[in-house]
Amino acid sequence: MRFDGLVSQEQRHLKWRFLDPLERLLMVLCGIAITTFSVLVVCDIVTRAIGHPWLWLQETTMDFFLYGIFVGVAACTRRNDHLYLAVLAESMTGNRRLFFELFNRFVVLCVAACMIYFGYLNVLDGFKSLRMPSMTPLAYLYIAIPICGALIALFTIEQMVNGWRNGFPDIPVDERRKSL
Amino acid sequence: MSNGTLIVLMAVLFLFFGYMGVPVAFALIASVLLITAFTPVSLASMIAQLFNGVDVEALMAIPFFLLVGDLMTSANVTVRMITLSQTLVGHFRGGLAQVVTIFSMFFAGISGSSAADVAVLTRTLAPEMSREGYDRAFTAALIASASTMANLIPPSIMAVVYGATGNVSIGGLFLAGVAPGVVVGIGLMIYSHFFGPVGFKRKRATFAEFTTATKQAAVPLMIPIIIMGGILTGQFTPTEAGVVAVAYIVLVAIPLLNRRHLRNLPRDMAFTGLLYSIPLITIGAASVFGWMLAYLRGPAMVSEWISTAAGGDPFRIMLLLTFLFVIVGDFIDAVPAIIIFMPIIIELTKNADINPVHMGAVIITTLAFGLITPPYGLALLMASKFVGIKFSKAMLASLPIYVVFFIAIAFTIFFPDIVLWLPKTFLPQSVGCFPNPNGTGYICP
Repeated sequence: MRFDGLVSQEQRHLKWRFLDPLERLLMVLCGIAITTFSVLVVCDIVTRAIGHPWLWLQETTMDFFLYGIFVGVAACTRRNDHLYLAVLAESMTGNRRLFFELFNRFVVLCVAACMIYFGYLNVLDGFKSLRMPSMTPLAYLYIAIPICGALIALFTIEQMVNGWRNGFPDIPVDERRKSL
Repeated sequence: MSNGTLIVLMAVLFLFFGYMGVPVAFALIASVLLITAFTPVSLASMIAQLFNGVDVEALMAIPFFLLVGDLMTSANVTVRMITLSQTLVGHFRGGLAQVVTIFSMFFAGISGSSAADVAVLTRTLAPEMSREGYDRAFTAALIASASTMANLIPPSIMAVVYGATGNVSIGGLFLAGVAPGVVVGIGLMIYSHFFGPVGFKRKRATFAEFTTATKQAAVPLMIPIIIMGGILTGQFTPTEAGVVAVAYIVLVAIPLLNRRHLRNLPRDMAFTGLLYSIPLITIGAASVFGWMLAYLRGPAMVSEWISTAAGGDPFRIMLLLTFLFVIVGDFIDAVPAIIIFMPIIIELTKNADINPVHMGAVIITTLAFGLITPPYGLALLMASKFVGIKFSKAMLASLPIYVVFFIAIAFTIFFPDIVLWLPKTFLPQSVGCFPNPNGTGYICP
């Protein structure tokens, strides 16, 4: 099995090395999530075809799918792998550039803070609702939001501190675009 | 503040954040959270909506269609399809340009992603086109334009998103996308033949060469048959068809064609796991935006304007929506655009009595065109970057190709019978047909 190269080496100067294992862990979790829910969908098809459907399969598949999304979003934040409209800040230089790079990350940080606080409120509220057929509280799924928010906040602060100290790099705008 | 002012403010904030460099998902959420402060809606419910937006079973198909394209590309299996395309059309005038279009049509049947198509073609055919003297701007424009077929010919991720959010049959949308996809493909071939570079003159492939190439490409070409066959026979949902295609690649295609790649599978899975979270969190964020837009009665306002301007005529409504989506597609990605504007589409589809699958085909074709139009023509941006040409030059080279898309969009709007022929034939219930009480066939409205 090959897991080498899972930690992105781009924008190295915006990263703390001690957080690399966390990025690697998140990448492995992404792989586990997509592999598990792929296998579960196959099991769902097979058990249905043989006339003995396992009712819990669909619910568990959805759990892995949803956790995979939020884990992936956290990893994307560290790797700067998000979907962008444009990065006008990168065409700027000097203090102006520093200001807008920090501003962009401040916006992300505010959203992450809302995900942590209001996500936590949703977790508390989620104990009142149950998922069928396992009857597990919805809170166990909602908890992915504040955890994701905390990781996004951590990685954003990492970039802000390192960007403030070392400056932000001049990477080509197109390189950071991702789409369907 | 009035609802109209809040809607405009929300849109301006989103575009401001987005164009400054805030990731799309965060730009969408941030603009909604700021506007929520002026409404009685709780911020906690907006964050919950982020979760509810992706808690949709049909969206599970997206990772599988991304995975199919990624595995085929990383295992280098796609080269066999390029060889087959060369034996089919390599001897035509502008042979390599024709190969790009034919390969894209094949690849569109495997992957639902334009990005994967651009990545494969710029890595394999673009260098060869440069050696043959093709203008690099033309190469980038053609590759980007051909890659849009991935969103039209099934499986299409745009169709999955459209179907999942608009409660429209995904199978029906898949089949309705075939006709506009083929029109784009034929249009690009005609354009390349008459207006593209001549390229090297090649000999027509012999029947033996064609047979060998077909045999070698047979394994990957089974994937579209598995996906569409499973859906059409009612054996699988689109999600299940996607996972069966993935299982086929992992258990059959890669062991047969590139066994050594199996050890890279864990890494491929990790990267695809990461990759699918990008569109899906954008879908979640766009659903938050769409929810707030609906709360502020945006869809009702816009659909009223469009209905009034079109006078209730379905074709005029579709033309106006096309105009709206050409503009929208210039500035934002197709997936959030579909989700944000879905309430407007639903309202207009219902009011003008348009078939939802037909409307879906029109919108998806228009948004596929948006992938090559500036400033946010993502397929063109990627192609120009990988081919190594300035975006402005690639954009100029793509301008004449716009005609192909205008024809495809007009065809999709004005020939619903042709567009809906495949869904009516193979999935009649997807387009509103119902079984004849006599037990013979279907009655279609």
